Amino acid sequence: MSTLVADGLHTYYGKSHILHGVSLEVAEGKITTLLGRNGAGKTTTLRSLVGLTPSREGKVTIFGRDTTRWPTFRVAALGVGYVPEGRKIFPNLTVDDNLKVPLQRPGPWTAARVYELFPRLAERKENRGRQLSGGEQEMLSIGRALLLNPKLLILDEPSQGLAPLIVREVFRVVARMRDEGISVLLVEQNVRMSLEISDQVYVLDDGKVVHSGSAAELAADEERVRAMAGASAEEWTLPE
Amino acid sequence: MDTQLILFNGFNGLIVGAFYVLMALGLSLILNLSGVINFAHGGFLAVGGYLAYTLTPYIGFWPSLLVAPTLTAILGVVIERTMVRRLYGRDPLYSLLLTFGLAFIFEDMTRAIWGAQGVPFAPPEYLSQPISLDLFFVTYYRLFMMAVVFIAVLALFMFLRYTRIGVRIRAGTLDLETVSALGVNVRALRTLNFAVGIFLAGLAGVLAGGNLSLEPTMGANVLMPSFVAIIVGGVGSLPGTLVGGLLIGVAAGLTSVWFPSASEAVIYVIMAVVLLVRPRGLMGEEGVMT
Ligand SMILES: Nc1ncnc2c1ncn2[C@@H]1O[C@H](COP(=O)(O)OP(=O)(O)OP(=O)(O)O)[C@@H](O)[C@H]1O
Ligand SMILES: [Mg+2]
Repeated sequence: MSTLVADGLHTYYGKSHILHGVSLEVAEGKITTLLGRNGAGKTTTLRSLVGLTPSREGKVTIFGRDTTRWPTFRVAALGVGYVPEGRKIFPNLTVDDNLKVPLQRPGPWTAARVYELFPRLAERKENRGRQLSGGEQEMLSIGRALLLNPKLLILDEPSQGLAPLIVREVFRVVARMRDEGISVLLVEQNVRMSLEISDQVYVLDDGKVVHSGSAAELAADEERVRAMAGASAEEWTLPE
Repeated sequence: MDTQLILFNGFNGLIVGAFYVLMALGLSLILNLSGVINFAHGGFLAVGGYLAYTLTPYIGFWPSLLVAPTLTAILGVVIERTMVRRLYGRDPLYSLLLTFGLAFIFEDMTRAIWGAQGVPFAPPEYLSQPISLDLFFVTYYRLFMMAVVFIAVLALFMFLRYTRIGVRIRAGTLDLETVSALGVNVRALRTLNFAVGIFLAGLAGVLAGGNLSLEPTMGANVLMPSFVAIIVGGVGSLPGTLVGGLLIGVAAGLTSVWFPSASEAVIYVIMAVVLLVRPRGLMGEEGVMT
């Protein structure tokens, strides 16, 4: 069964047409990853899915319900955790207060459990968001989304700008969430590491899905992986 | 210089500053979370005062002190839900025009209902006594007023600091989109925040009515200085608004000791000087609270 189904999304920023009929599915209890170069429309896709930038055409179904026209907070309240690009920590609030913002749906995740998962955050409880390192901010952003007790977790480039050791930690946490039964939709530019933990992969280019398949299959195609992983932002093409 | 005269005017300034603070805090809340410059805020102040005037014969002064601002806040909720909300996210000019129009409507409505002449609104007799003959201008009512303002401000800051909703309001001030992505009903949050701001205006109206008298134009008179208080304190910072309101109130009061005719102009001079020295206001740039 699919946790999330997007069908033919067309999304615009004002007059510029960004998504040209994006369709994808997130399978229950699996990690689905969306890859693609800078400006491919990955963030826009996620924003359309959660209602921050609603698509003009197409349909979004989450947990079997048509959420296409829903305001963002209703989508989230359904059990969709969102870890936005750039983490979007509230810089003026302490770590503790950042964790008070999300709606608390019933479930196993509490602030105490988030501190258990990320002991670094427990040490910095009283620090303000702006005083945290990038890695700590990422942990806080993930912890904040977990407090919603999501059934679907959407992460937008969680490894962006982090030191390799922290990146590994972040991926480990994402894999652990899947093992706890949370379905995951992951946007990444770190091709190798995300293929390692993913089940299903979509590749987006120019607002269109140009490839979809199992992660294992794509990972096995070393030539393609190397091309995708090593490509600079300017010249990124999917070799056929 | 006569110390008593200085005390008299300084104290008057403090009272006036306290009104600015109540008004400006409400204006700030609404501006920070919803991006609306509420020109109708003074109208809500007048409505609060007149409602207390009408209610007091029936329910007494003390209940009116809470009931009138609450009714004012409910009126605020109706207006937010039916009109102001539609303009969120648009150019601020739209909501500015709307509230500007509402301010006129409020003024004329109060005039139509309660008359153009000022009406007296007397607090209980025992509150009107001065505390001593030397300090004849320090009545119990004025001390009581200061206490109410103090309690209201303290309650507001505790609410923002310690409650979950308060935390969400502070978060939403900087990034409402992310607050909504975390499942918080931001429409309800904005409505509630609007109601809190209007409650403070209504409360200011009740207190002002007991201090001077009720006039349909009473709101318009404190509106501009309240905006000045926000700018002096630093847009976005509630503690700044608090400091700004008291500062310009006392400054205007003291100025009237020496240059009575300049007492209104002085607040704009202060604003100009503050903006020259600190373009973002005294406590702007991510103040302590928001
Ligand atoms: N707010 C906006 N207004 C107008 N155009 C935008 C806006 N945000 C993004 N775009 C454009 O939409 C396209 C897709 O952007 P998007 O952020 O979805 O890409 P992305 O795949 O997430 O890229 P990155 O890997 O850099 O995060 C880009 O061409 C971008 O310039
Ligand atoms: Mg992006």
